[in-house]
Amino acid sequence: MIVALLIVHGLLAVALLGALTHQAFSVASSAARSDRRSFSFFNRFRNVNAPAYATPIVALFSVTALGGALLYPKYRVDVRPALEDLQLRAPNGIFEIKEHLVAVGLGILPGYWFFWRTPLAPGQAPARRYLTWLLAFLVWWAFLTGHVLNNIKGLSS
Amino acid sequence: MRYPSPAIFTLLFGPLYVICFYVDIALFRYYPETAEFHWRMTQNAGPAILWYGWLAVAALASAAIAILVPPRWADRPWSGWVWLGPMIAVVVILIYETRWFV
Repeated sequence: MIVALLIVHGLLAVALLGALTHQAFSVASSAARSDRRSFSFFNRFRNVNAPAYATPIVALFSVTALGGALLYPKYRVDVRPALEDLQLRAPNGIFEIKEHLVAVGLGILPGYWFFWRTPLAPGQAPARRYLTWLLAFLVWWAFLTGHVLNNIKGLSS
Repeated sequence: MRYPSPAIFTLLFGPLYVICFYVDIALFRYYPETAEFHWRMTQNAGPAILWYGWLAVAALASAAIAILVPPRWADRPWSGWVWLGPMIAVVVILIYETRWFV
């Protein structure tokens, strides 16, 4: 059961990471974004309908965080003591940071969703941009940390 | 009925969460070995998870303030700076948690 939950948690995180990275690049620079003559992979990657991503991102973040919260007791009982026994302070530390950053991310969601409501208010573009980038940073950190800890046996051997 | 301002909630949640975990203000504690919730620290129940309790306090406090702030004040132009609250929280967390890497 716990393995199935871990896999679902990871798959949801992949979807969240993809959606949020698209949106984060789409708000990068209006000058760069308006250069629609260039059909490079990078331009196609960021020329997405960014507001359409907001609600799915809120839903994916919430469900993924809930999955993480359900997995957390198992980590606290089985994994963390093993890391402490092996004196692996850095992996313990990056997980502590992940735990806190996901909490901050949950707090960002209401404001993030509010500023991405359509029709978009032009005056709120900076708030949308910085909240999106911040959320993207938190999700990338959480994703990479989760993978490192999940594979810690192989990585540390 | 007055609705909470999402901008005020987002502005406050991060800093309040940081205060909760730094000062250790948890609404409740979860003990995974016995699968029990307790309001207070409980001896002989194994390691406690405080994260849920910190989240609960930060969410309740932010929501309460977001409801109490008058809408005309919440909708002012400064609301474009709401990202500063979580940004400061992230920076404080990253600095504080460097203790794991020394």
